[in-house]
Amino acid sequence: MRGYIARRILVLVPVALGVATLTFAMIHLTPGDPVVAMLGENAAPADVEGLRHTLGLDQPLLRQYFIFLSHLLRGDLGQSIVTGAPVANLVLERFPATLELAAAALSVAILVAFALGFLASVRPGSGLDLGAMGFAVLGVSVPHLCLGPLLMIAFSLRLGWLPLSGRGGLAHLVLPAVTLGTAMAAIVARILRQSLIEAQAQDYMRTARSKGLGQRAALVRHAVRNAATPVITVLGLEVGALLTGSIVIEQIFSWPGLGRLMLQAIGSRDYPLVEGCVLAFSLSYVLVNLLTDLLYAVVDPRVRLG
Amino acid sequence: MKPRSRARGWRSPICRGWRLAFTALLLLAAGCVILTGCGRARESDRSGDWLRVEIETSPSTLDPRYATDVISSRIGELIYDSLVKADSRGGFAGDLAQSIERPTPTLWVFHLARRCRFSNGKLLTARDVKYTYDSAMNPASASLKRGSLAALARVDAPDAFTVSFTTNGPFAAALELATLGVVPAGTPANGPRGLPPPGSGPFKLARFERDEEVVLERNSWWAGQASAMRGIVFKVMPDAIVRALELMKGLGDFAENNVPAQMLGDLQGRRALRVVRYAGVGYQYLIFNFRDPRLRDIRVRRAIAMAIDRQAIVNSLLARTARVASGMLAPENWAYEPEVATYSYDPAAAARLLDEAGLRAPAGEGPGTRFTLVYKTTGDEERRSLAQVFQAMLAKVGIRLDVRTNEWATFYSDIQHGDFDVASLAWVGINDPHHYYTVFDSKMLPPHGSNRGYYSNAKMDELLERAEVEMDRDARRRIYGAVQKLAAADLPYVSLWWQDNVTIMNRRVRGFAPYPNGSWRSFAMISLDGTGEVDR
Amino acid sequence: MKPRWRNPSLIAGGAIVCALAAAAALGPSMVAADPLAINLNLVLAPAGWAHPLGCDALGRDVLARLLWGARISLSVSVAVVAVSVTLGSIIGGTAALAGGAADELMMRLIDVLLAFPGILFALALAAILGPGLLDLTIALCAIGWTGYARLVRGEILSLRERDYVVAARALGSRTERLLWRHLLPALAGPLIVRTSFGVAAIIVAEAALSFLGLGARLPTPTWGNMLDEGRAFLLIAPNLTAAPGAAIGLAVLGFNLLGDGLNRALDQRR
Repeated sequence: MRGYIARRILVLVPVALGVATLTFAMIHLTPGDPVVAMLGENAAPADVEGLRHTLGLDQPLLRQYFIFLSHLLRGDLGQSIVTGAPVANLVLERFPATLELAAAALSVAILVAFALGFLASVRPGSGLDLGAMGFAVLGVSVPHLCLGPLLMIAFSLRLGWLPLSGRGGLAHLVLPAVTLGTAMAAIVARILRQSLIEAQAQDYMRTARSKGLGQRAALVRHAVRNAATPVITVLGLEVGALLTGSIVIEQIFSWPGLGRLMLQAIGSRDYPLVEGCVLAFSLSYVLVNLLTDLLYAVVDPRVRLG
Repeated sequence: MKPRSRARGWRSPICRGWRLAFTALLLLAAGCVILTGCGRARESDRSGDWLRVEIETSPSTLDPRYATDVISSRIGELIYDSLVKADSRGGFAGDLAQSIERPTPTLWVFHLARRCRFSNGKLLTARDVKYTYDSAMNPASASLKRGSLAALARVDAPDAFTVSFTTNGPFAAALELATLGVVPAGTPANGPRGLPPPGSGPFKLARFERDEEVVLERNSWWAGQASAMRGIVFKVMPDAIVRALELMKGLGDFAENNVPAQMLGDLQGRRALRVVRYAGVGYQYLIFNFRDPRLRDIRVRRAIAMAIDRQAIVNSLLARTARVASGMLAPENWAYEPEVATYSYDPAAAARLLDEAGLRAPAGEGPGTRFTLVYKTTGDEERRSLAQVFQAMLAKVGIRLDVRTNEWATFYSDIQHGDFDVASLAWVGINDPHHYYTVFDSKMLPPHGSNRGYYSNAKMDELLERAEVEMDRDARRRIYGAVQKLAAADLPYVSLWWQDNVTIMNRRVRGFAPYPNGSWRSFAMISLDGTGEVDR
Repeated sequence: MKPRWRNPSLIAGGAIVCALAAAAALGPSMVAADPLAINLNLVLAPAGWAHPLGCDALGRDVLARLLWGARISLSVSVAVVAVSVTLGSIIGGTAALAGGAADELMMRLIDVLLAFPGILFALALAAILGPGLLDLTIALCAIGWTGYARLVRGEILSLRERDYVVAARALGSRTERLLWRHLLPALAGPLIVRTSFGVAAIIVAEAALSFLGLGARLPTPTWGNMLDEGRAFLLIAPNLTAAPGAAIGLAVLGFNLLGDGLNRALDQRR
C-alpha cells in the first residue's frame, strides 16, 4: 500500500509536466498578446519591444518552452506578466477559497446523493423514486449560470435567508455550494440508485434475504459494497466538473477564488499565471483521483492496488 | 435473529471500511469549510456612512503611472489630483493648477495651488509633479503611460509651485498630457503590483482586495470641503444580474453603465431605486477594413450606413439609452460640428447603391445574397444581440454577415491584425478632438496606432496634421469641423450612437452630479440619507 | 431468456425520445413563425395566441426557436455522446484488459486531459478550428471521451474480480466472449446514467463555446444559447429560460428512462 502511494505520487511529476506542456501549447496557439493587452495601442514601438525582451517573449517559442520547463522543474512558476507578483503566491492566495467552495459543494452533493439514491432504490418505480428522478433531471438541466441567480432571487432577494454573494462566513457558502453541488448530486444519486437496484437483483442478495437477513441489513451488507465502485468512480470524475464548474460559480457569486484568477489570466494572456492556475487545478484533480483509487481498496478489499 | 445479523452487518470489515471512508470524506470536506470559511466577516457589509458602488471588474492597479483601464482611472481620480482635469465639454480645467500660461507654442506653464496636501499630510509641490512625470517617462519604470506621454520633451519645476511642460514641437492637445495623477516625490515605481502611493484627492485608499472590494476613506487633508460620507466601498461583482440583485436588495447604492438596458424597466419600478440617465460621450461605431476592395468603394460603405436602422435599435434594444450619432464627437464637445452628412434608414436606396457598385444579387426569388462580410465582435450578450440585428438588417439589402464571436483578447488581436471585414467597437471618454488624428491619420496604422481599418485619405491627413500644431482654439475648431464633415462623407466609420450614462442609485444617495465622460468626481459631494434598507 | 421489451421505463422513455425527434424533424415546418425574424416591436412580448411561448429580447418567436434549436442541440449532443462513449469504451476497455504499462500510460494521459480546464482547450481549438457545427462536435468529443474511458476501465477492473467472471475465466472462456457475455451488460448501468446526463451537459456546454468562438454560428438558435440569452431576463421574462430549460429536462428524462428501460430489457440475469 505504502509503495503504491509513493509510486502514484511520483507519477504526479510526468502528469504535471504533461499538463504544463499542454497548457503552454494551448495558450500560445490562442491569438492575443500580453504586451499589447498591457501597454495598449498607444505605446511606442520601442516600449513594446523593450517589455517583450524583459519578459523573454522575443525568444523563439521552443526556447521559451524549455526555459519555462527548467524553471518549473526547479519549482519556480515565475512571475505574473501583468502584476509582476510571483505566480506561486497569487495561486496560493486564491486556492483556499476555491477549495472551500469545492469541499462544500462536494459535501452537499454526497449528502443529497446518498439520501436520494437510497430512497429511490428501496422501491423502484414508486413515488419516492420518481421524485428523486425528477430532482436529478432538474439538477442537470438547469445550468449553473441560471441556477445561481434563481437561488439568489428565491433565498436572498425574496426570502432574505441568505447573503446574496461574496465570501464570508458559513452563510455565504450555502448558495454557491448548492449551485455547484446540485448537478453532481443528481448524477451520483442516479448512479447509486442504478447500482443498488442491480445489486439487489443479484443471486447473493436473494440468498442473503432467504437466509433471513433483513432488507436493510442485506442492503447495507451486500448491495452497498457492490454499488460502491461505480459511485466512487463517478465521484472522482465529477470532481473535475466541480473544479471547472467553480470557475462559473466564482464569477456569479463574486467568489475570490482560483477560477476567477485563471479567467483573468487567460483574458490578459498572462502566460505564467495561466500555467500556475492550470497546474493547481490539475494537480488537485489528480490528487482527488488518487484518493478515490485508494478508496476503492478500502471499500472493496478484492481490488488489488498495484 | 434479525438484531444479531444486523449487528454483524455493521461489524463486517468491508462495511466498516466503506462507512469509514464515507465519514472521512465528509469530515474532510467539512474540515476544509470550517478551517477556511469561518471568522471572515466581509467589510463591505457596512452600510450607513459608506457609499457602496457596484463595479464589474477589479481595477488593475491604482498607481496612476500604471493605471490604463476605465475602472482604474475612475477610482484613481478620487485618490489622485492632476494638473488639469477634463471638463464636461471636452476641454480641460485646472485641478492642481490654478492658472495656465503658454508663453511659446512649445512651452506650457502651470501655477499650482499652494494648499494641496497628500493624504499623509505632506504639502504637494512642483517637485512632486516633476517627479511623477519623470518616473512615468523613465523607461526603467516600465510605466504604461510612457507611450501616451511621447509628445512631452521635458517637465521642469522652476519653483516650488510652478511646473512647466516642454513639448517636442507645437502640440495643440498638450493639456491632455496634464491629466496624469500626481504621486509624492520619491515613490518607487514598482510596477502595477506596488502598493498605491498616497494622493491628494478627496479620498484615500484603505483596503484593496483584488476581485473582492476596494475601500476608500475620506482624506482628512483634502483641500476641498470634506466628504459627508466616511468613505466608498467598491464591490466587485462580475455578473450583471447579481449587480442588479444587489441594488434591489439594498446591498449596493450605485451602479453606472453596467446593468443591461432591458433590466432598467424592472429596476425603475422599485421604490428604493432611482434610475438617472444623462448624455454620455461613449461612441459606438462600425469600422470597415479598407484593405478589402469591396469596402474601399464609398458606395458600399454608404449602402451599409443606410441599411442599418439605428433609431429602431436605440428605441428597442437599447431602451432609449443612447442618441443616434453623427460623428465621433458628441454635441457636448466644444469642437462638435452639426452640419455633417447623415444617413437615414433607406434600404431601397442602399440596394440601388450596391447595384451601382456592381455587386448584384444572383437572379432568383427574394433578396439574394450579393456578397458576404465577416463581422467580428465579442461574445457578450449585448454584442451578440446587436450582431444579430445588424445581420438581419443587412440581409434585407443582400449583404450576408458572417458573425464571429470571440472572447475579448482574441477579438482584439484579430482587430489589431486587420483580420476582419467589419467590426463594431466603441470609444469611451473622448475629450480632445486630437483623437481623430490617432484613428484616421494614415501614419497611425496598427500595431502602433489606432487606425485599425487602414484608412488612408490625403485630404484627411492634411487636415489632421494641420490641427495637431494649430494652437488657436477657434482655428482648431474650424479644422476639426472640416474633419468631421469629411469623415461623415467618406465613412471610414459608420457612426452608430452615443451611449448615455445610465446610473442606478439608491434613493438615499444625494448630490451626485453627472459628467458626460462618466467621471465620478462628484462622489466627494455625495451625502447619504439613511441606511439604504429595502423592503422586499 | 427473452428480452423484456414491455417495461414502463422503456415505453415512456421511447415515447419521449421519439416525440423529441419528431419535434426536431417536423416541428419547424408546423409553426408559421420564422425563428430568425427579428421584430423590434415585439421585444420580450409575453406569451399569447400568436406567440405561444412569447418573444425573446429581439422579438423572435420562442416556440419557433425552440423547435429549430431542437435539431441542432439534439443532433450535436447525441452525436458527441455517441462518439465519446464509443471511443471512451474502446480505450478504457483496452487499457483495463491490457493492464501493465499500457494501462498506466493511458490512464496518466487521461489524467492530463481530464484535469485540464476545458475553457483553455476550447479557446485554442477555436483558434485552430473556427466556428461551425462540425468543429463544435470535434471539440466536444476531444474533451468528452476521457470521462467514459475512466468509467469503463474502473468498472471492468472491479468486475474482473467478481465471482461469475472469475468462474467463467476458470472454465476457459475467451476474453472476447467474457467481454460480450458478462462485462458489457454489467457496464451498461453506470454508462447509461452518465450518458443520458451527458446529453444535457453537452447542450449547455455549446452555449459557453459559442461565447469563445466555437459553436453554432449566430443567428442559429440552439437550446444552449437560448438559455444564455434569456438569463438577463430571469426576473422580467422567465419564459425565455424556462422554455429551453424544460426542453433540456425533457430530453434528459427521455434518454434516462430509455436507457433505464433498455438496461432492464437486455439484462440477461433477470
